[in-house]
Amino acid sequence: MQTFHPQPIAWPDNAASIRAQVRSIIAAHPRHPDPAKRANSWAVADPAFSARLGAEGLIGMTWPKEYGGHARSNLERYVVLEELLAAGAPVGAHWIADRQTGGMLLRYGHETEKQRWLPGMARGAIFACIGLSEPNAGSDLASVRTQARKRGDRWIIDGQKVWTTGAHFSHLMIALVRTAEGSQRNEGLSQFVIPMDAPGVSIKPIIDLTGGHDFNEVFFDGVELPETALAGIEGEGWKQATAELSLERSGPERYLSSTALFLELLRHVGESPDPAVRQLVGRLAADMWTLRMMSATVAAKLADGEDPALEATIVKDLGNSFEQAMPGLVQATIDIDPASTTALTRVLEHLLQVAPSFSLRGGTREILKGIIARGLGLR
Amino acid sequence: MNEQQNMLSDMANGVFAELRDTPAAEAWARIEALGLPSLLIREADGGFGGSWQDALVVFRLAGHHALSTPLVEAILAAGAGTHLGFAGRGTIASRSEGRLENGRFTGTLAGVVAGPRADFVVAPLGDRSVVVDLSQARFVEETHFSGASRTVIGIDGARAAASELRIFALGAFARSAQIAGALDAALVMAVHYVNERWQFGKTLAKFQAVQQNLATFACEAAAANCAAMGAAQALDRGDGAFEVAAAKLRANQAAGIGTAIAHQAHGAIGFTHEFGLHPLTRRLWSWRSEFGGDAYWANLLGAGILARGADHFWADLAARTD
Repeated sequence: MQTFHPQPIAWPDNAASIRAQVRSIIAAHPRHPDPAKRANSWAVADPAFSARLGAEGLIGMTWPKEYGGHARSNLERYVVLEELLAAGAPVGAHWIADRQTGGMLLRYGHETEKQRWLPGMARGAIFACIGLSEPNAGSDLASVRTQARKRGDRWIIDGQKVWTTGAHFSHLMIALVRTAEGSQRNEGLSQFVIPMDAPGVSIKPIIDLTGGHDFNEVFFDGVELPETALAGIEGEGWKQATAELSLERSGPERYLSSTALFLELLRHVGESPDPAVRQLVGRLAADMWTLRMMSATVAAKLADGEDPALEATIVKDLGNSFEQAMPGLVQATIDIDPASTTALTRVLEHLLQVAPSFSLRGGTREILKGIIARGLGLR
Repeated sequence: MNEQQNMLSDMANGVFAELRDTPAAEAWARIEALGLPSLLIREADGGFGGSWQDALVVFRLAGHHALSTPLVEAILAAGAGTHLGFAGRGTIASRSEGRLENGRFTGTLAGVVAGPRADFVVAPLGDRSVVVDLSQARFVEETHFSGASRTVIGIDGARAAASELRIFALGAFARSAQIAGALDAALVMAVHYVNERWQFGKTLAKFQAVQQNLATFACEAAAANCAAMGAAQALDRGDGAFEVAAAKLRANQAAGIGTAIAHQAHGAIGFTHEFGLHPLTRRLWSWRSEFGGDAYWANLLGAGILARGADHFWADLAARTD
């Protein structure tokens, strides 16, 4: 039994030159003074940086040129992503548009919507969020109640989404809503493209335990949308939304979120620390290297047109556990003075507090393990 | 896998499964007749000229079937010794003490796999290797660890040659691949068992705690398999020093977690001599320590990374695949 079929990875021939390009963009961009902002950096929005990447052709890289994309390969894009994350670059503004929303629009979106949104996304000027969770539909996503009713040639949306990352700076949301009144579970759901400035959309921040603002509540009160806003086939929303999860779950952001801590650890301990630290460094590096192989393998499978949903789930579960464990392992091995303001202390403090979310967002650990168990034939 | 690897996989799968209950001498004769020991011998020397990714296919399956015949060791030894003029059945050792002078070795070899049946052995010497003729060897002692028998051998001026290969690292790569295969096999057994065994009016598989444990096991098996593949690819590129270290360390950790969950899922029956789980799990425990335990490889990797420092870590890692 193999739940994950490894394969040799054909890294792009031009990987080194892509890396050089990304590194020079990062070097030229003003570095955030707070080292904590280099940890979990795909949660750090910096529209100016996104615009710069867009101008360099590094957003929407795999999309067709007619929509502002650059028709490059999935693994070239992978190289760009890992460079950005390893350096802790602030990629949060465009991350979701580039990772999910663009591809989803290309696949299911009405031509009008594609032309409206995609070129701006690729320029790094239009940002997106995902409307899945609701107050009573978290892990149990099939319980969504936000509804869309047809009135003439318009759709009317009423309801509420919650835990919506980046809604407050996004220009559009792809939302999963119920189009068949009284339908149960994953039947009768559809996906819609909702402009965040449409009348009737309101956003309320949710402040996390660090005082930070990633999450939001989004309310829809009689929001009117044209017919073109329906993405894909009415009633097929569940299938469409879950098909995207391989993209959401397997990327390098699933194991590189704590890299800033690893690098600060290396800086802090110098060349010859005691053996416990040396071994910790070796262990973390072995884990990181393995996860890189696994994540890139999924990227290669996606490039080959496969849907490695199970492999992607495994990458997220292992990756989240790794980056989540790292702050605790560092804290257990190094004497940290909480009163100090060293970079190591700042990054550690930040990650200790945000790491619990790693195994919650994008599918909880329990949900992921349930999916893997199904893949094993246990349920 | 390419077409050649598919054929290799089919052949190895078939023969390894049949050999489970075959007497040792007969098993070796069958394997030799198929030409498997010459997998890594260069074509110019009459071998198969296989790559490390080809070797991964065979090593992994040897682990998967808990193969008793020391084929993995014979393949590595033949790859190192044939072009240096050592013929017959080779094996490997995990340690040596002694000196090589004028084509003669004097000293001790330890952790020799199936020593009494081998014609020559490849052992680590310094950070490279020595190939030693065993025709006049003195068997000093037999050691055991988790069911694996190894020998200590005394050598007094036997014919020997230096090899540029790093057999300790290649042994670690082989064990990583075997761990990957054995974990997959133990996972299959565990899944099968919990689907068959009824308690409290349902199969064990219906219990969420059991499901979540086996999902964790599957993740570990996946990690070990991907790590072994990454190491094989690096060896084929020419330098697998970092990758072999990382793969063995990751496989070691997976072996620890996987064996624990495999036994937990099987309950008491998995702990019996009669049941077929222990040929896998006992080998896994042995392989975890052989050719470098966790601390050994973690120290080595850690020291290398610390010496280069934070500013080089990522660039170094990425450059290894560019």
